Amino acid sequence: MQSSPSMLTKFESKSSRAKGIAFHPKRPWILVSLHSSTIQLWDYRMGTLIDRFEEHDGPVRGIDFHKTQPLFVSGGDDYKIKVWSYQSRRCLFTLNGHLDYVRTVFFHHELPWILSSSDDQTIRIWNWQNRSLICTMTGHNHYAMCAQFHPRDDLIVSASLDQSVRVWDISGLRKKHSAPTSMTFEDQMARANSNQADMFGNTDAIVKFVLEGHDRGVNWVSFHPTLPLIVSSGDDRLVKLWRMSETKAWEVDTCRGHFQNSSACLFHPHQDLILSVGEDKTIRVWDLNKRTSVQSFKRENDRFWVIAAHPEINLFAAGHDNGVMVFKLERERPASAIHQNQLFYVDKQKMVRCYDFSKKSDSSPLLSLRKLGSPWMPPRTLSYNPAERAILVTSPAENGVYELVHLPKDAAGAIEPTDARKGAGTSAVFVARNRFAVFSPSSQQIDIKDLSNSATKTIKPPPGTTDVFFGGTGCLLLTTSAVVALYDIQQKKQLAELAVPGVKYVIWSNDGLYAALLSKHNVTIVTKSLEQVSTLHETIRIKSAAWDDAGVLLYSTLNHIKYTLLNGDNGIVRTLDQTVYIVRVKARSVFCLDRQSKPKVLDVDPTEYRFKLALVKRNYEEMLQIIKTSSLVGQSIISYLQKKGYPEIALQFVQDPQTRFELAIECGNLDVAVEMAKQLDRPKLWTRLGTEALAHGNHQVVEMAYQKLRQFDKLSFLYLSTGDESKLARMAKIAEHRGDSQSRFQNALYLGDVDTRVQMLKELDLYPLAYATAKSSGMEDECQSILEATGFTEDQITLPTMGKALQPPKPIVPTHQANWPVKAASHSFFEKALLGEVGGLEEDTMAASNGFDHIDGAEADEGPTRDGALGEDEDEDAAGWDMGDDINVEVEADFVNVESADAGSGSSEADLWARNSPIAADHVAAGSFDTAMQLLNRQVGAVHFAPLKPRFLEIYQATKTYLPGMPGLPPIVNYVRRTVEEEDTRKVLPIVPRDIETIASVDLQEGYGAMRSNRLDDGLKTFKRILHSLMVNAVSSQQQVKEAVKIISTATEYTLAMSIELERRALSTDGEANLKKSLELSAYFTIPKLEVAHRQLALSAAMKFAFANKNLSSALSFSNRIIANGGSPKLVEQAKKVKSQCERSPQDKIDIEYDQFAEFDICAASHTPIYHGSPNAKCPFDGSLYHSQYKGQACRICEVCEIGAPASGIRLFAS
Amino acid sequence: MDPFSSEGELLTPHTSLYQGQYSSVLDFDTNSLSPTNRTAAQILKYRAQIALGQSSAVLSSLSASAASSPDLTSVRALALYTSDKKTEALSALESLVEKEGENGTVQVLCGTVLALAERYEDALSLLSKHQGSLEAVLLTTQIHLATNRLDLAQREVTAAKKWAQDNLLVNLAEAWVGLRQGGSLLSSTSYYIYSELASTPSSSSASSLLAQGITELHLQRYDEASASLAQSLSPSSDLTPSIKSDALAASVVLSLCTGKGTGEAWGELQQQQSEHVMVRDIEEKGKAFDEAAGKWRAKVAAA
Repeated sequence: MQSSPSMLTKFESKSSRAKGIAFHPKRPWILVSLHSSTIQLWDYRMGTLIDRFEEHDGPVRGIDFHKTQPLFVSGGDDYKIKVWSYQSRRCLFTLNGHLDYVRTVFFHHELPWILSSSDDQTIRIWNWQNRSLICTMTGHNHYAMCAQFHPRDDLIVSASLDQSVRVWDISGLRKKHSAPTSMTFEDQMARANSNQADMFGNTDAIVKFVLEGHDRGVNWVSFHPTLPLIVSSGDDRLVKLWRMSETKAWEVDTCRGHFQNSSACLFHPHQDLILSVGEDKTIRVWDLNKRTSVQSFKRENDRFWVIAAHPEINLFAAGHDNGVMVFKLERERPASAIHQNQLFYVDKQKMVRCYDFSKKSDSSPLLSLRKLGSPWMPPRTLSYNPAERAILVTSPAENGVYELVHLPKDAAGAIEPTDARKGAGTSAVFVARNRFAVFSPSSQQIDIKDLSNSATKTIKPPPGTTDVFFGGTGCLLLTTSAVVALYDIQQKKQLAELAVPGVKYVIWSNDGLYAALLSKHNVTIVTKSLEQVSTLHETIRIKSAAWDDAGVLLYSTLNHIKYTLLNGDNGIVRTLDQTVYIVRVKARSVFCLDRQSKPKVLDVDPTEYRFKLALVKRNYEEMLQIIKTSSLVGQSIISYLQKKGYPEIALQFVQDPQTRFELAIECGNLDVAVEMAKQLDRPKLWTRLGTEALAHGNHQVVEMAYQKLRQFDKLSFLYLSTGDESKLARMAKIAEHRGDSQSRFQNALYLGDVDTRVQMLKELDLYPLAYATAKSSGMEDECQSILEATGFTEDQITLPTMGKALQPPKPIVPTHQANWPVKAASHSFFEKALLGEVGGLEEDTMAASNGFDHIDGAEADEGPTRDGALGEDEDEDAAGWDMGDDINVEVEADFVNVESADAGSGSSEADLWARNSPIAADHVAAGSFDTAMQLLNRQVGAVHFAPLKPRFLEIYQATKTYLPGMPGLPPIVNYVRRTVEEEDTRKVLPIVPRDIETIASVDLQEGYGAMRSNRLDDGLKTFKRILHSLMVNAVSSQQQVKEAVKIISTATEYTLAMSIELERRALSTDGEANLKKSLELSAYFTIPKLEVAHRQLALSAAMKFAFANKNLSSALSFSNRIIANGGSPKLVEQAKKVKSQCERSPQDKIDIEYDQFAEFDICAASHTPIYHGSPNAKCPFDGSLYHSQYKGQACRICEVCEIGAPASGIRLFAS
Repeated sequence: MDPFSSEGELLTPHTSLYQGQYSSVLDFDTNSLSPTNRTAAQILKYRAQIALGQSSAVLSSLSASAASSPDLTSVRALALYTSDKKTEALSALESLVEKEGENGTVQVLCGTVLALAERYEDALSLLSKHQGSLEAVLLTTQIHLATNRLDLAQREVTAAKKWAQDNLLVNLAEAWVGLRQGGSLLSSTSYYIYSELASTPSSSSASSLLAQGITELHLQRYDEASASLAQSLSPSSDLTPSIKSDALAASVVLSLCTGKGTGEAWGELQQQQSEHVMVRDIEEKGKAFDEAAGKWRAKVAAA
């Protein structure tokens, strides 16, 4: 029999015969006791031998880990039971007592007990804390082969070659050994009486049941982890299942199949399965409920002796003649696929479910895949086709089958698929909207099938192909054991090939440009044309991966989540307690499926990889953001930055002067380097600085460095080359001081100073040289004096012919005054951003204050807090002019006519819009400007339409797109809708740009910004634009209508306020009348209902203006209002000062029309007060008020509507 | 055998023509073709040239080769019409339509000319004679859409799907109808057809990217639309002036829909393609607005 496809070997060891196995409950370890007397401790995940324990004499058969302590116990053919510490790696003590081979040893799950079974026919319980034998159970009359504690109850089950299985009750023993002090006399009496002694007078452990049924010796017996079931293995080649109740126990059934002695058996910890092993070299898996064989696994030469199950995870180990194997029964990777915000996956019950990432919610089962493959085998892969809402599932059962199923529209519970199309093949993936590829390894053939499951094309893949994956639209990725190939289905040819061995999974990036190829220990990132971008190796197995939106790959190993950037930089994101399969990464959340097929969300800190990514992409703004908002400092980041060639950025993080100096030199930031060099003041640093500065041409720094280093020669030469003669002269003097003739000579030479040279040569008695120098420079007098001094005559001296004396060139430009054009220091954008950030902030505060020049430091940045001041006006409007929607009828009639006139063609979508909606904006979008204007006139009394022209055209222009059609023909016109999902042509409506959200979040803020920074002209335009945008607009709910009304009133108030202030500024302050008007306007500026922060600006301006003009009463009232509003402490402080001054004589010097106690509004045309109750007229759209004489004119605020015109109210929403 | 079928020799240039990859049509090597297909390939090349606005070049090479066959005459008619010799083109076409109405090339090319001349009825009656020509189906669909007869277009596509499923031309027709119809047809059919075309290496072109961008725009997936449009506008050999102007028009709409005004694309479009439908449309509408607003001004003045 072949190895079953779903038994997955995870680890194998080679050794002598393995007789006992124990899993560590937490760590990836197993203990193996060998026939050769050795005990091995393996890490089965890494495949390494951790330790060996050799103290037993002869074979070791029993072995067990303690559940919590670092202990294990072993029992051997030397009759000994040994307790070991794996930390100190030695045997702690030995329990002696058995008189023959010890077969099995087990720890109790909570009490400090060890249970042993022995060929001396006894079963014994030992206390390992006080190292004593506490109970000996006799009864078996042949070797006791196995004895185990019940996982919860005070029971023991044992198997013996006497053909029986016995269940023992040890509750007496527990009572005797638990808290004996608290036991009353009555208890003791009761126990003594109730417990009936066995034939040896032993009341601690009594035989509860004797199970007879095997007709040969029984080798092994196990309890079920939760149910009252027992399974046993015997030399009669049978595996028997027993059930027990409180009072009796009986045989349930027998599993027949082993054709040699069955040596061990156990229950699957989570599933309804029995596993057994035997000397017939097989591992067999049985269905617990049907007692039929599910699968079996056969080894060529090795008899199996023992089997063990991991208590938590889905792992088993079996010991045989030549070692141990650790295996899983099935793949635990849930089949899944992602589409946009949805994850489709198959859960443990083989139901297809859908998980919504944005809502983080799971659907109820969509579909049942129970019938796919075999019941014990989960599907392997799932491919999703969003166009058809279909899934393609493969299962490894029956050598590979696939099924194509349509998902139901709604999750209506686990329905069985009705229209499933099936076929054979190990891999099946969608390759296009209506095509999928099926691969079957046996025939080495890929079929391209359409949705009716009929093959349209057949492809012969390269020999040895093991799997196929989606390869981008119209392409496949084919993997063999050594290479991956990209195959174009349409052209039927291989496009590219890359040597990547053992690829098991392919994960495409969200933009489809990159793919990650996962092998067991490698991640290879390739482009969509299969060019390798990077590769990395992991020692631990790689399980899964997913791309985040920014193009970082997060992958999981058995115990970590790690990241890798495209360039291969990688690191650890977090550790994992249990293995998970990552399916998606979104911001700080990693979505994954665990081994129970449950979606989970793990939080991760993306800072490190985001930062590195930003660095690679040179996205300095983001880096800045990250630096500011998170604590990302540390040696690792600094060295990373330096290594990657970003010393200038690393510089921002470092404090240590030495490192700073190094980094500054590296990035050419001389300022910092100088600063650090001064701080450290070491010659070595100055030398390096000098060299670097010279390379930059920064001679001032070079000069400093040379001075520090006292390198006079170099300094002189530097001065020469910069043409700094005064400093050269000083150098000459210094040289004289130092008595350094060489230097003096040098400097004199540089200065072209022949005199000094001659004098110096004379001083040094170098008369010939002095003479020659003087002679060549034509200094005849000097020549004479030298001749006299030396007693020579001119004739005696023969000189070579000399040309003209050379003079050093004279500097033309004083280059020493400034640095030479300095090599541009690599001031990165990043640095600029860091600096600019600070500058920007300052500018901002400046802007906020400087416009209102007499206010300093106004705190305006309070942020927009809406005050819904004019909300109540809405009702009044509607009630006053309830003119209904009758206009609609009229409009409709118009269009019917138009349509019938033109019989050949149908009505365009634009016509539909106008027909479907009573909203002016929709008519504009339809291009029906006439009707739109009619509507606006009725709704808001609009008459002056010119200002609305940009808005009309904007809306109209956003409604059509032009799609290239047949070659040679004009494009096909299509109509953009705001009702994307709508199917009913009677309800489709056009897109209207600048929706309410945009206006609230962009335009309104822009207006506030203009107010804050005192750009009132811009602000006025912005608010008027807001008004026009809202006048012709459409919203999607009643809620939004309210919001729109609120914004209209806000915009109106700001428009009014800004116009008042702009009028004041336009006014000259000369003359009494103008001053009075100015004072009034500044007072009125405080009336409109602005945001509090903005009103404070207005108040403060008015207060100071009034105060400066001795209108102390007004100033006092303004200061009181400022104080009442609160906010910026500085402003309040100022107001308090003004207040205290004004209170001394609260009189107005100039009498103005401003009654601080009266309630009034401002007329938007004349900017004079309208006291409450006096006659007025209103703009029907924005609600601005006017003196009644302005009735019939155009509204000054919106510029469109007629003041006081009858109107039904703006209509933005058609319910 | 149909030379345009999936196994035919002319599949590549034919699909390229319909995917707007005109330059690759022109580059197609005709030497290895059988003689019958060589003429057909030449016609495809002429059509690509005309689509690229090189009608005069076509005319000159046609007069040289003494256009006698009905196929070449119809090419000439199209070339004449597109180089602004409209009356000449229409007269050349009259007799051809009468005599050679059964010829597939004549149907498509003359149909195109008639559609250009907005003689839709004539075009449709000519096209109705086709015998399994998908090009005729596609042209018919576009004419129905141009005359706002979505129902007829829909019927045409459904009928064609029965006998030619999964052909590029049928897919295109389906996508066009889906775009006009909207709703689920848009989000499923059109979107997937275009995204498939745009992402498959062999069919990805400025034109298919533009179409993808437009569907995304209609679906209000603005970020994706912006990426697709930018990609379609990036310089490439497929970016013909007409595709570029359509892409610019779409960019204008996108910019408007995202609340950013008309954006730079509008200026560019007005400057470079003053003849584009959108530019002319907006000009006209501007005038219409002034006219409509003028009526109100008159009323106000009168009051």
